[in-house]
Amino acid sequence: MTKKSQGANEDQVKEPKRKIVPLKSQKEAKEVKSSKKEEDLLLDSGTDSDYDGCSLSGSLNSDDFDSEDDFDSHRETQDDSGHEGSDEVIDSENGEEEDGSDDEGSEQREVAEESDSSEDEVAPRNTVGDVPLEWYKDEKHIGYDITGKKITKKEKQDKLDSFLATMDDSKNWRKVYDEYNDEEVELTKEESKLIRRMLKGEAPHADFDPYAPYVDWFKWDDAIHPLSSAPEPKRRFIPSKWEAKKVVKLVRAIRKGLIKFDKPEEEPNVYLLWGDDSASDQKSKHLTYIPPPKLKLPGHEESYNPSLEYIPSEEEKASYELMYEEDRPKFIPKRFTSLRSIPAYENALKESFDRCLDLYLCPRVRKKRINIDPESLKPKLPSRKDLRPYPNSCYLEYKGHTGPVTSISTECSGQWIASGSTDGSVRIWEVETGRCLKVWQFDEAVKCVAWNPLPDFPILAVAMGVDLFFLNTELGTDEEQQRIEELLRLDNLPELDEAAAAIAKWLPDEKYRGIKIRHFKNLSYIDWHPRGDYLSAVMPGGETRGVVIHQLSAHSTKRLPIKMRGLPVCTLFHPNHRGLFIIATKKYVRVYNLHKNGEPIKKLETGLREISSMAIHPGGDNLVVGSKEGKMCWFDMDLSSKPYKILKNHPKDITNVGFHRSYPLFASCSEDSTAYVFHGKVYSDLNENPLIVPLEILRGHSSKGGVLDCKFHPRQPWLFTAGGDSVIKLYCH
Amino acid sequence: MPKHYRPAGKKKEGNAARYMTRSQALKSLQVNLNLFRRLCIVKGIFPREPKKKVKGNHHTYYHVKDISFLQHEPLLEKFREIKTYQKKVQKAKAKKNEELARLLLTRQPTYKLDRLIRERYPTFIDALRDLDDCLTMVHLFAVLPASDRENLEVKRVHNCRRLSHEWQAYISRTHALRKVFVSVKGIYYQAELEGQKITWLTPHAIQQVFTNDVDFGVLLTFLEFYETLLAFTNFKLYHSLNVKYPPILDSRLEALAADLYALSRYIDASSRGMTVEPKVDASSSSQSNDRAESELRLAQLQHQLPSSEPGALMHLVADKEVEEDEETRACKSLFKDLKFFLSREVPRESLLFVLPAFGGTVSWEGEGAPFKEDDESITHHIIDKPSAGHMYLSREYVQPQWIYDCVNARIILPTEKYLVGRIPPPHLSPFVDNEAEGYVPDYAETIKRLQAAARNDVLPLPGVGKEDLEDPQNLLYAGFMSRTEEIEAAENKKTMAEREKQYHEELKKELKKEVTGSVVDDVAAPVVEEGEGEESSVPDAAQIAQDTADMPTLMMSRKKRKLYDAMKIGQKKKSESVERIKQRKKNLKADQ
Repeated sequence: MTKKSQGANEDQVKEPKRKIVPLKSQKEAKEVKSSKKEEDLLLDSGTDSDYDGCSLSGSLNSDDFDSEDDFDSHRETQDDSGHEGSDEVIDSENGEEEDGSDDEGSEQREVAEESDSSEDEVAPRNTVGDVPLEWYKDEKHIGYDITGKKITKKEKQDKLDSFLATMDDSKNWRKVYDEYNDEEVELTKEESKLIRRMLKGEAPHADFDPYAPYVDWFKWDDAIHPLSSAPEPKRRFIPSKWEAKKVVKLVRAIRKGLIKFDKPEEEPNVYLLWGDDSASDQKSKHLTYIPPPKLKLPGHEESYNPSLEYIPSEEEKASYELMYEEDRPKFIPKRFTSLRSIPAYENALKESFDRCLDLYLCPRVRKKRINIDPESLKPKLPSRKDLRPYPNSCYLEYKGHTGPVTSISTECSGQWIASGSTDGSVRIWEVETGRCLKVWQFDEAVKCVAWNPLPDFPILAVAMGVDLFFLNTELGTDEEQQRIEELLRLDNLPELDEAAAAIAKWLPDEKYRGIKIRHFKNLSYIDWHPRGDYLSAVMPGGETRGVVIHQLSAHSTKRLPIKMRGLPVCTLFHPNHRGLFIIATKKYVRVYNLHKNGEPIKKLETGLREISSMAIHPGGDNLVVGSKEGKMCWFDMDLSSKPYKILKNHPKDITNVGFHRSYPLFASCSEDSTAYVFHGKVYSDLNENPLIVPLEILRGHSSKGGVLDCKFHPRQPWLFTAGGDSVIKLYCH
Repeated sequence: MPKHYRPAGKKKEGNAARYMTRSQALKSLQVNLNLFRRLCIVKGIFPREPKKKVKGNHHTYYHVKDISFLQHEPLLEKFREIKTYQKKVQKAKAKKNEELARLLLTRQPTYKLDRLIRERYPTFIDALRDLDDCLTMVHLFAVLPASDRENLEVKRVHNCRRLSHEWQAYISRTHALRKVFVSVKGIYYQAELEGQKITWLTPHAIQQVFTNDVDFGVLLTFLEFYETLLAFTNFKLYHSLNVKYPPILDSRLEALAADLYALSRYIDASSRGMTVEPKVDASSSSQSNDRAESELRLAQLQHQLPSSEPGALMHLVADKEVEEDEETRACKSLFKDLKFFLSREVPRESLLFVLPAFGGTVSWEGEGAPFKEDDESITHHIIDKPSAGHMYLSREYVQPQWIYDCVNARIILPTEKYLVGRIPPPHLSPFVDNEAEGYVPDYAETIKRLQAAARNDVLPLPGVGKEDLEDPQNLLYAGFMSRTEEIEAAENKKTMAEREKQYHEELKKELKKEVTGSVVDDVAAPVVEEGEGEESSVPDAAQIAQDTADMPTLMMSRKKRKLYDAMKIGQKKKSESVERIKQRKKNLKADQ
């Protein structure tokens, strides 16, 4: 299709719009056409619909624009479209249009004039107006012609065919597809030239000369007056003073040598810096210089060709990915079979930079590094063989309880042991044989059992709930039995004062022919005085009345004249000093003198979180405290109120600790179902510290429930342990 | 009263008075962070760790003395001067006074770092001790491309290159190189100078890339200091050889990027006492290579003989004779009678450095080489191609790794494994103490055997080599024995315990049979047991061993126990990694 006919078509297309503005001339019609063209090109260049809309609006604007001057109006459109963000191509298209019009100006005008009459000759043109062409995407037509008939789309050519056609056609490069009219437009030579000029940044019009000589419109000739009537000043004719000054300044600067014209000679910047090292022996006044640590030297794995075993397998590499970034190995060995195949190391700069950062940002501290065998840190302990005898192997098991055995107690002769369990039974066993001699059955879980320490009074004290029982074990001779029965008869109950009565009530126990003392709170611990007449009972809930002392012979109960601080855990009578009474609360152990009306004597700071048990050395000066965090403290009470030794031996709560009465042994048992046996020798020489040696870890109780109590045999170096698995074990040497 | 109350007018004491945070330091010095950083870098000042961090944990602390040290630094004044001068120039430029700006720029104040070097390293030994980082950095920048964006000028790159070559030439000339290791990161060299072991890393001669996560300002400040340090060190070293510094090089060789060779020739020539610069006959290459050889020989001879100058003589006696210990002699004579020729594709710079350092004669393919490829006397041709083209029968064609392995082993290794086209045996790090590490790679043992064979002049038979390996093996064997013994002992214990148990049970039965409930003499039974009731019966042997081992740890103080635990963890990690390697090796063997 020729350009002329196209122009005519454009006119037709724009007909309805032009009717709105009746004053439009032919020139303007042409301009509309050009803007239309521009839009088409835009579409061709594959811009999106937004863009397309913009240019459309631009064209509309130009439509409204009324101007006689062709060139100007074109510039306007161009500006508009440019304003909307058009690129060079668009500009060039505009220009081209304009150029074409100017080139064949008159001729085209004629064509435009004829356009009305030549309507019939041209093909039907699209009249859809400025609607997005997308709307017709799925239709078979692209719009309507002037008569309202559908303009059908051209049949789409086969891709291959179209490609071949484009290949064959040498003029293909200047063909442009007009989507609006669904036709191909071929650019003329002039148009393409114009585009080229625009791309070069020149004026689109070939004839336009940007450097045209200036035409001075001002008439100079026939002016009567000069612009300034002042006479020419004198300074125009004499040399400048300031310039002279400047020159003098420069001359002086040159004379003084401030301005030099030849470059200063470079003095050698390297010389023998360390000529004589002797002068440098003087000590520097500054802080000690800590040389930076050298970088780690590379190992086999960093080699470019390491042994195969240094290279991680695929699975290992995959497992690195799953690791945290800090844990991931910094360097993964690689293997190259020849030197020439090694690539550049990508982290070279980074590592160098990191090193620099370390050098000037990291605090340097001199640290002593010990390079010793860790085994040498272990203290030299005396051989265990020399410290025999001590319990080390399980010899007997006492089975019979159905619940965890909470407490055991040995009779002072060592022939019997008593045990109490949570199933409510108290049993007496023969040590040698494991025979169960006697069983008492109660309703409540037994908390604590304790034999009277006197050999001729085989009485058993049993604590459970709020009750404390004194039971006759019916051992011993008849004479002893008689005495015990007498003792346990509550005939002449002395009058208790009201305070004591509120704490405990003495009642006869018909069932077992013993005594029952009913307390006002639950009992947790009982302990006999070594003389066997007094018994202390601990009630953690009792607050200030938490510890009471019962006197068996007088059937009376006494409150302690002590102000309790904290919850009492366990109590002890001092083995040698009659009046000394030791109370362990959760954090501290305090010693009182009961003879002096409960005067506080000592306070031991354990530093433990929660004390669970305590035992005193038969010598009376050393104390072992077990805690619920698994620590054991040995106190030398003469030495200090701080622990002499803290042993962290159990991972779980220590349930009980105990000293042997004659051998230098002590033990601890814990909920981790082990019991430790220690050698704990106390010297009579006060200057010598006690010797503590761990001897044996006794295992054997099942892991559930742990070991709840341990007691030494009074004469032999044997240890009884009561387990949560309802078994009592005897460990012998 | 608050805990930290201090009466007015009373001075601070302790850590609060002795340390200040970085921002406090900036304030007291009246500098910005950039300038402070530069000062710290060139002065070698680093933060310190106070015992008690008064201002909190998230601060960096400097010692007050360090800061006052900076305060009195003339360089600080100089930096300020430069800053104001820059402002002057900028002002001139802003006023379009180009002439003044140009004039000002020609007279910019400059500063020097030589005083700082003397201050930081009062003796030469000190400087050598801290030379590792310096060398690594200079070698790295010698291969970096100059870049406008990073403010890295061509001049500096060239300077780095020159300095590194000067250093290498000296090391090579004095045969001070000890170990070489080709790693993925580059080539590690270790030299020994005045009793100091100096290790540095040179990147592979491939174009390096700039990464974005690096602050070049910091790197360049460090480089500035290091360049100066290395220049002075080189001066001192060259001075000790009686060679003028900076060396004036043959421009032709320099243009051919054979600086190292040019340098070594320069040193050779001038250490002979010749003040004349070496002239290279450009016309005939054969003549020149003959001359180079003769020069080398002469230089070496000259070194053996005391030179005529009294000062030089003293020097030679003082330096050379003492310094030339056994190791240096061994290094010097390693490749003594060998002549090498380098193919185009091998890393020339590295080999030109290493081979002469160990007494070899070397040439390469290209312009300015001392001798050509067709020289009949060449013994080894270093090649890194899958196959060689034309092969001379008189020489051996080996891969470059052979040289590095020879250097590390200090013997001439057999070349079969390194011949052209083969995959060479693993390249092992010379910096690892295999015995301490707990794992000896196979090839290390082979090398050891070869070394032993070379020393005894006996053929490398496996039986003979074993003698030398006895020591570690014996140790291992002993360790193994002790363990097996332990296990045996434990087992013995177990059987004993079982027997005991049986015995006890029998005893129990007997007792029950005898009398039940009757009074038993409570001493009787234990007396019987006392004979053999010694060991626990229930726990297994491992448990017992564990318990006995753990027992003394109970008695340790907490500090010691923590230390012990930490050491144990370290040992465990080490043994785990060795174990992993062994496992991998086993797997590899299983796959084959």
